[in-house]
Amino acid sequence: MKNTKKRYAMLLDLRRCIGCQTCAVACKSENNVPLGVWRSWVKKVEKGEYPHVQEISLPIVCNNCEKPICVTVCPVVASIQRPDGIVYIDPHRCIGCRYCMAACPYGVRYINPQTGIAEKCYWCHHRVDAGLEPACVAACPMSALIFGDLNDPDSEIAKAVAENAVQVIKPEMGTEPHAFYIGLDITAVEAKQNKKE
Amino acid sequence: MNTQVLYNVGHQEAFGLFIAIYFYLTGLSAGSFILSTLAYGFGIKQYRPLGRIGVVMATGLLIAAPIFLLFHIGVPFRAWHLFVYLNFESPITWGSFLLVLYPINCIIYGYFMFKEELKLTRIFGLIGIPLAISVHGYTGFILAFGKARALWNTALMPLLFLVSAIVSGIALMILVCIIKDRFFSPEKKINVGLIMSLGKILAWTIIFDLFLVGCDLIVLSISHSDAQAAARLLMGGEFSLMFLVVENLLGKIIPFLLLTIPRFRTLATVTIASILIVIGIFFMRYVVVLGGEAIPLI
Repeated sequence: MKNTKKRYAMLLDLRRCIGCQTCAVACKSENNVPLGVWRSWVKKVEKGEYPHVQEISLPIVCNNCEKPICVTVCPVVASIQRPDGIVYIDPHRCIGCRYCMAACPYGVRYINPQTGIAEKCYWCHHRVDAGLEPACVAACPMSALIFGDLNDPDSEIAKAVAENAVQVIKPEMGTEPHAFYIGLDITAVEAKQNKKE
Repeated sequence: MNTQVLYNVGHQEAFGLFIAIYFYLTGLSAGSFILSTLAYGFGIKQYRPLGRIGVVMATGLLIAAPIFLLFHIGVPFRAWHLFVYLNFESPITWGSFLLVLYPINCIIYGYFMFKEELKLTRIFGLIGIPLAISVHGYTGFILAFGKARALWNTALMPLLFLVSAIVSGIALMILVCIIKDRFFSPEKKINVGLIMSLGKILAWTIIFDLFLVGCDLIVLSISHSDAQAAARLLMGGEFSLMFLVVENLLGKIIPFLLLTIPRFRTLATVTIASILIVIGIFFMRYVVVLGGEAIPLI
């Protein structure tokens, strides 16, 4: 049965991703993201030893979770979940207490050094509401990113999510992330910075 | 398997030194308040001298504490949003109200105490106990709600915070009593019996604190991978010097020995033990807040 309520989601097909960081650049430019902070980026991890080695690219965006812990903990109701699932921050209400940054399991929030308030990826809802795709999706040269309404069975994303094996990052957090990945390698998620072994 | 991060984005610190100081001050305040109610709330006559010192300390520390929150937040002039836009699921919203109600209650309680109206003092003292527990306990919930941070996300956190609050509160109380008696009392004579009896309570609360820290560490070290990383961080990593040496050896084990072994127990050693504890509990706050964030999330 068709669900008439919209639920936006993103699908990141890692089989197509070449790690070119175009999405990260498009995001910075679209959203005026200051130097030193990022709303989306591509984490790169090298796995194995020569000659059996692979470079894994893991593009990261906000998961715009169904049960967002950032919305739960925000003490001033500045983090808000829209009925279509997108979680955004009201820039006029946020006091910059950083609790959402402490609570988010995905590390996708930052404090804008110019304004002192929290910001994050909200799937470019200003573009989406105008009928466009998010900047990263539009910019991806490999068409590795698909964005759309998961509740519309005729949408590209609903078909792709239904027909492929998809994963989310850290499902054990119980936040029900809505950025789905095809070909997600757990090594890339769990590899921590500066880990020397 | 050999894995290496080639590129990733660094993350800003969410809670830093100011939050650690804030937790430390609310802990000291809650601990002092509970001590002051021993005589004026529960009628234990021996601890009467602690009443007035306790309520002055509790009020002063709790008025100082939120100043560090204002330093911490990005837009301090919007702090009033906390009282207008309410989210009762968020521990910080619980805190906004506790940080108003608790000092008001402290002031009323102190006013009646200085007026020697014992019945009213008792009523406000007893109302204050759940407030004091909440005003510090809620800070444990703030951290426990950070569900991806293994060091924070434990149901022990509020209790751990409360017990260390009482430990640091007693230690600070001992120091303040000694300074007050030695320099500001008319007879310039220290009430040794009172100090020694506080020392005994202190020793037992230290044991309870060590027990909780031990439980936390044991479960962390066999739990999921991030929890194991957190245990390694404390036992051999970046925070091990602060955690093992400053917080637990100098801040708990040595003071415990000084306070319990009879031939060590003098006024001087109780003073030294209290100084070590007051420093050690500060490092406990620092290690919990900063250590919880030391493991990258992604």
